[in-house]
Amino acid sequence: MALLEIKNLHVSVGGKKILNGISLALNAGEVHAIMGPNGTGKSTLSNVIAGRDGYEVTEGQVLLDGRDVLAMAADERARAGVFLAFQYPVEIPGVTTSAFLKTAINAKRRAEGKPEIDAMEFLKLVKAKQKILGMPDDMIKRALNVGFSGGEKKRAEVLQMTLLEPRVAILDETDSGLDIDALKIVSEGVNTLRSPERAFLIITHYQRLLNYIVPDHVHVLVGGKVVASGGKELAEQLEAEGYARYLSAA
Amino acid sequence: MKQSALLVHPFGARYAAALPAADSARREARETLALEGLPGPKREEWRFTPLRGLAKIPFIPAASAEDIDVRDIPADVPRFAGAVRVVLVNGVYRADLSDKVSEAGLAIMEAKTPDHDVHAPLAVLNAAYMSGGVTIAARGVVAKPVHIVSIGAAGAEPAAFHPRFAVAVAPAAKLTVLETHHGLPGQPYFSNPVTTISVGTAGVLRRYVLVREDSEAFHLATTVADVAADAKFDAFHLGLGGALVRQEINVDFVGEGAAVRLNGAYALTGRAHHDFTTFMNHDMPNCTSSQVFKGVVDGESRGVYQGRLLVARHAQKTDGQQLHKALFLSRGPQIDCKPELEIYADDVKCAHGATTGEMDPDHLFYLAARGIDPQAARLLLVQGFLADALENVDDAAVHDILSAEISGWLMRKASA
Amino acid sequence: MAAKQETAAAVRDVEQYKYGFVTDIESDKAPKGLSEDIIRFISAKKNEPDWMLEARLKAYRYWLTLAGEEPAWAKLTYPKIDYQASYYYAAPKQKLASMDEVDPKLLETYKKLGIPLAEQAVLAGVAVDAVFDSVSVATTYKKKLEEMGVIFKPISEAVHSHPELVKKYLGSVVPYTDNFFAALNAAVFTDGSFVYIPKGLRCPMELSTYFRINEKNTGQFERTLIIADEGAYVSYLEGCTAPMRDENQLHAAVVELITLDDAEIKYSTVQNWYPGDAEGKGGIYNFVTKRGACRGKNSKIMWTQVETGSAITWKYPSCILQGDNSVGEFYSVAITNNHQQADTGTKMIHLGANTRSKIISKGISAGKADNTYRGLVRIGAKADGARNYTQCDSLLIGDKCGAHTVPYIESRNPTAQTEHEATTSKISEDQLFYCQQRGMTEEEAVSLIVNGFCREVLQTLPMEFAVEAQKLVGISLEGSVG
Repeated sequence: MALLEIKNLHVSVGGKKILNGISLALNAGEVHAIMGPNGTGKSTLSNVIAGRDGYEVTEGQVLLDGRDVLAMAADERARAGVFLAFQYPVEIPGVTTSAFLKTAINAKRRAEGKPEIDAMEFLKLVKAKQKILGMPDDMIKRALNVGFSGGEKKRAEVLQMTLLEPRVAILDETDSGLDIDALKIVSEGVNTLRSPERAFLIITHYQRLLNYIVPDHVHVLVGGKVVASGGKELAEQLEAEGYARYLSAA
Repeated sequence: MKQSALLVHPFGARYAAALPAADSARREARETLALEGLPGPKREEWRFTPLRGLAKIPFIPAASAEDIDVRDIPADVPRFAGAVRVVLVNGVYRADLSDKVSEAGLAIMEAKTPDHDVHAPLAVLNAAYMSGGVTIAARGVVAKPVHIVSIGAAGAEPAAFHPRFAVAVAPAAKLTVLETHHGLPGQPYFSNPVTTISVGTAGVLRRYVLVREDSEAFHLATTVADVAADAKFDAFHLGLGGALVRQEINVDFVGEGAAVRLNGAYALTGRAHHDFTTFMNHDMPNCTSSQVFKGVVDGESRGVYQGRLLVARHAQKTDGQQLHKALFLSRGPQIDCKPELEIYADDVKCAHGATTGEMDPDHLFYLAARGIDPQAARLLLVQGFLADALENVDDAAVHDILSAEISGWLMRKASA
Repeated sequence: MAAKQETAAAVRDVEQYKYGFVTDIESDKAPKGLSEDIIRFISAKKNEPDWMLEARLKAYRYWLTLAGEEPAWAKLTYPKIDYQASYYYAAPKQKLASMDEVDPKLLETYKKLGIPLAEQAVLAGVAVDAVFDSVSVATTYKKKLEEMGVIFKPISEAVHSHPELVKKYLGSVVPYTDNFFAALNAAVFTDGSFVYIPKGLRCPMELSTYFRINEKNTGQFERTLIIADEGAYVSYLEGCTAPMRDENQLHAAVVELITLDDAEIKYSTVQNWYPGDAEGKGGIYNFVTKRGACRGKNSKIMWTQVETGSAITWKYPSCILQGDNSVGEFYSVAITNNHQQADTGTKMIHLGANTRSKIISKGISAGKADNTYRGLVRIGAKADGARNYTQCDSLLIGDKCGAHTVPYIESRNPTAQTEHEATTSKISEDQLFYCQQRGMTEEEAVSLIVNGFCREVLQTLPMEFAVEAQKLVGISLEGSVG
């Protein structure tokens, strides 16, 4: 059984159809990339999997380990192991990154029947991971994402991913707004998380990120549909040729 | 209402007796006036602007004074090139001093009775003794702006007058109005204008007001505006003189998507008192209002800003901003400020800010370091402070007029 | 002169005595209603000296002249209070026999707040014989404080033990003529705390942290007076995060603070009185007058309040900055949910030169509640170089509540600077979703976001209080979203 299975997913927003029957199966240990031009439903897909309000699923299923994800509230999905690295991470004034992380970690631990994390252990853990991601120590004392640069925000997303150890991680345009150095660091962070128990869904417009996070499968999303699937060479082909071929077909 | 909230005032039987018999609208207003009187210091909206001084003056109706004779427009009244000029003396339309209207889409008529009920204490006084006024109606894009000139003057006795202005902008029409208030020295006069404004759907009204009354004069103006869907009401008010001036502006949003900009500035010397009181009644979703008021105070003057912004439960997506900045030029003046937010809808962006203080010594030093003497430096900085408020006056000619008025104020102050 | 006044008072007393006592002094409860007899009864119960009784009667007579006219300017609506329908003196309540008798809902909240079991019993009003740790700790510390010269005792005792201090300072910051509720309090106050910190002493412990259990004043009409003598410092904690049930609906406390040269008082409050039920039935009416006078130069008064309870809150902890270079600070979190109404804020009256004030107010409104910040910053003509900074933020949760900001800024000094900012916002869908995507429930997310919104205020609380207050923020907003 696939770890995450998307079956014939149809989604509308405000009566307008965005996704027109997407089917994907992510096995544990795999990295899938979804590529496509702007406005083709890439972010809709990630939001629907994560459970954001405002999307109407008119048909289809999303299963995590065979469990119906769509029936769960957003926070239940997260605790079940669905992690979304946001394209635009949200700023929450006054809430320190550290308080936020601790609350999130404890929410997960509670769901797993584990005791809350010890304060010292937490600090040690976060510091170690921050170091890997090249983040300054005092970053967790700052309010969550407030005043963070684009690169800092994306690194903070990867830090959260590292700490929450999801089953399925969805990276929504994580490369947007990153310079090459930040891109390398973020990619390394993601690569260290690759494991036989975990699957990744990487949503991107450009092939650039896939030079650093090498996917097992690449899918082309156009007009709310997967119009082509292949290996990592498909991404290179798209980089060279663009989406024109698929756009005219759709 | 508590008795202490009322004020004994000179607009009773003696005042009425000097005028011809009233029509029904005025009669009704006089009955209300007799009951409600003028607001005393315990009325919250009037706490910073006491009317005790005004109430002590035995005004007579300007229309009943036979010794007032104004034949010309005073020389210091600004000329608004290309505008249709409408002149009132002591609240009465003067055809002999006004331009003839021959502009497509523009109609200007003399107003005879208080047509609209306006529920503000001074508007009731106005309705009771309305002296005259004009009604302006715009259809389509009116190319020529209108310049209303109000001149006040008293004879041997203090005199009061109560003009009415109505400005109606039809749907999709556009109009620019400049209103300037002036007066002649002598016994104090009291100008008590009421303006009712309606801006139709997708209409645009730009309204500019200059109050430069005589230094002994009273000017208490009430404006009520209805702004319809997608309409724009853009206003700027400049207060440069008068013993006691209040410009009260109440805006009702009656359609979605309307945008209102209410800006203003005041510059006060001597014992002048100037009050900006605004009320933004956000009763419709998706409307925006923005207010920026700036003031400089010198001598023993007093500047007041009270702004109330009300967002109704259903007025989601309201954007409402208020800002008041006051600059002290000397020891002795007083600033009172009360920006008020009353919000019942959650998806709104509302904020206000207020500052008071004196000139930044760093700025003064910078100018001094460039060889500018302290007096000139101060004038320059004050001018800069006020000019900044004029930034959003879109009409270039009006911008120049108001800018020149500010320079004039600074020059009078410098030479005083 | 003083003697003469006392005599005059005595004569007046004798004259009034002819109306006689209608109440038996041995009784535990005065009859309903308010009259000079009731005030004499209260005074007699406390065995007060004549001057105290006189002061009460004077306040009462003034209160009568107000003819029931409560201040009407606040944005509060509540039914007319019948002052003759209340009891003004009652001996302490009967204790419950065991924890089994306590409302389980109350116990659940205690648990959420993390209040130790032993404290829970006392808070819930269960009779406890055993001396538990905190009480013995309290006794130890009390002795220590006495040795250092700190006077910390019920005001009813201070009237006897330190009449000169009480006479000098009581009513000197909040005179009985100040307002309707202050007059009422001055006439009928039952008890409260008296604190005097001697010259140069930095009180080494938070007063009432250790005492909140056995010296809890849950009276209707508290009267607190704190004096920090030259160079002294004290941090005083009032109230409790635990929900307080009280059968008296009307509360009208008065708190007066006085700092002399170089002295500092930090006064922290957590108010969690019964707010009424979800339909707005019941709940405490809390009309509080709190004011501090920075009489000395370089002195400082800092108010922190976390107001989550009461059906009606009417409260404006203020500072009169008389001494040159004195500092006033006000940090406030006010949370209203369901049908609660709060009209709260501060007054900063700048009189001395180089006085500084800072106001940070965070209002959170949910349910059908109304929350108003009302504040005054007044700069007197002599307050050269005065500074004020005010930041008022409102947060609305849901579209059935209201958030209002009514600041008054009055300046008469050109060299003073005032700066005021206010914003209104809501918890955005994006913020909620983001938190939920990280596994938090909606309630956890709201609690986290609101705590972030209040952080600047909560971090001014003493550590122990702050942790409980953070939990309280979340609990107060339960059921407000979704």
